[in-house]
Amino acid sequence: MMLKLFVSNLKMLARNKQSLFWSLFFPLIFTVIFGLFFGRENNMSGTIAVVNESQTQIATGLDKALTDSKLFNISSEKNFDAAKTLVEKSKISAVVEIPGTFGSLAPTDSKEVKVFYDPGSAQTVQILNNFIGGYLTQASFQIQKSQPLFSVKSEKTGNTTRSYSYFDFVMAGILGLALMNSSIIGIAIAISSYREDKILKRITTTPLPTWKFISMEVLSRLVVNLVQIGLILAVGVYGFHGHVYGNLFVLLGIALIGAILFQLLGFVIATFAKNPDAAQSMSQVIAIPMMFLAGVFFPIDSLPSWLSSIVQYLPLAPLLRMLRAVSTEAQSPFTNPINIAIVAGWIVLTLSFTIWRFRLSDE
Amino acid sequence: MPSVIQVRNLTKKYGSNIAVNDISFEVNKGEVFGLLGENGAGKTTTLEMIEGLRKPTDGSIQILGHDAKEKLTEIKERIGVQLQSSAYYSNLTLTEILDLFATFYPKHLETLDLLRMVGLEEKKDAYIGSLSGGQKQRFSIVASLINDPEIVFLDEPTTGLDPLARRRLWDNITAIKTQGKTIILTTHYMEEAEILCDHIAIMDHGKIIASDETHKLIEKAREPLKITFIDNQLTEDDKSDLKKLGNFKDIAGKDYYFEMNFKTQPELNKALRIIQARDPESLTVTRASLEDVFIELTGRRIGDEEDEA
Repeated sequence: MMLKLFVSNLKMLARNKQSLFWSLFFPLIFTVIFGLFFGRENNMSGTIAVVNESQTQIATGLDKALTDSKLFNISSEKNFDAAKTLVEKSKISAVVEIPGTFGSLAPTDSKEVKVFYDPGSAQTVQILNNFIGGYLTQASFQIQKSQPLFSVKSEKTGNTTRSYSYFDFVMAGILGLALMNSSIIGIAIAISSYREDKILKRITTTPLPTWKFISMEVLSRLVVNLVQIGLILAVGVYGFHGHVYGNLFVLLGIALIGAILFQLLGFVIATFAKNPDAAQSMSQVIAIPMMFLAGVFFPIDSLPSWLSSIVQYLPLAPLLRMLRAVSTEAQSPFTNPINIAIVAGWIVLTLSFTIWRFRLSDE
Repeated sequence: MPSVIQVRNLTKKYGSNIAVNDISFEVNKGEVFGLLGENGAGKTTTLEMIEGLRKPTDGSIQILGHDAKEKLTEIKERIGVQLQSSAYYSNLTLTEILDLFATFYPKHLETLDLLRMVGLEEKKDAYIGSLSGGQKQRFSIVASLINDPEIVFLDEPTTGLDPLARRRLWDNITAIKTQGKTIILTTHYMEEAEILCDHIAIMDHGKIIASDETHKLIEKAREPLKITFIDNQLTEDDKSDLKKLGNFKDIAGKDYYFEMNFKTQPELNKALRIIQARDPESLTVTRASLEDVFIELTGRRIGDEEDEA
């Protein structure tokens, strides 16, 4: 009885083109877009042109350092005016001009490297200026045969041998986003249209217990979630050099717990929604703000502190923190038990409400 | 005939609105029992309380010897329910739906046999969405038979169907009856109830206002005899003579097409002699129909409603 219902549910999910689009294709689009921007050459921040007219050791050294740094894409344009035109047209972020006599120590020779930049690429230019400044400071010290008196040493948290990029951050965010969207919207719409089409009522006329109907509905959607997570990770990791450092099965486990939580939220919505249209708008009212406030695309501590102290308790927020702890830092999800507590709290809350108010048919 | 359903003092209230008001009836094994009434009379609510979908506010229901409150699962295994308007998954084929519902029951019939029974075997791999209205209703009925139930509930099975599709469905319902199953159906088509039902209960404003075997109910009409005739030159004298004998009225305002209802045979005979003497273009003698009885019983109330509005 249960198996047949489970298989039938899977068939229906596979035949529902709209739901497939939202649960599988839509998060993949996000992965690809973010991958194209931030994945692959994941340390690059923009394209620059280097016009080196000097033959000195310092000049060629700087040119080579910029190319080898892998911080930037280096344009093949070596003509200064042409490169400057590219900057003006915003085709590239900046052009670095190393003047003809730069690097020679004669007092009359040029001592300045010039950077012309597109104001729209301020971030790239800042990195570029820091890089060149740092390089030239080193060079100055070497020539003067002195050592810097003070210096800074920065360390990443977690395992320092792992490089962790913005794309890795976003990839875990997209996992959470995909789980949330497909589960909340999927359940809310499916259940409210079952109600509108009187399928729930028809089920009530059979001896099938309600809990079996619900659990098969939930279980079959978890299979879709697994496919969803697999696709996002495959495209992210193999297509755009994303990383999953932690245990994949722990990651899947957290994701499925999250999916159950969001499906329960879907049932809560379906309890209120009179029809599928209402269910759709109510789901979006919940899902869209959560997408931006719970830290899918940027860390919530960049929000004003009063806001971040609230939104960190949204159902998606602790889930994302756990997903990231596992995928980018290879930590145990139990490192910060408050996250588990929040997720468990939400599950208890939504489950109690569902048991209290959700009915297959009116009485 | 043993009774398979006993309803006692059944009441359903929604706040101050009384949907079903203290009704009692019994349904005998193997009969087709019809619940008749206007929309909103309480037919569907009554049916859904018996099916276990809604909780009665008061009263008791016994089905197949079980109390509906206590043995709901056992009862559900032995009844089949067709809901008003079809209610099945749109992304499963007819075969897949029946196979799925079959697993909900301890015993079930063969899917293909059922589809064949209502002439849908060629549609076995089709989705509900591709069926016509009549096909949908036939599927909906046959799906209620998947567990080979002893009692079948059909809620307005022919509403919205064209006359041919309706007649075809009557054949299907008759076929179910000949298998020895008990059928309870609701309808607001009097002709349908008269043809299909062995026993009829008429509901109005949540109450049963009449309940009897179909032919007895019709015989209870105050004016059980009826003639209709067409006469282009009926004189005023003839009209006033006829009006003394029975309930004389023109049909839909036509001044040549008339209908008369009579309480007794001698009155009918006298009227016939008057009309036949005029050599009318058409003359038909019938008995009152269920519809006449229904209007007699509920007509006054409908009038009241209009006055209130």
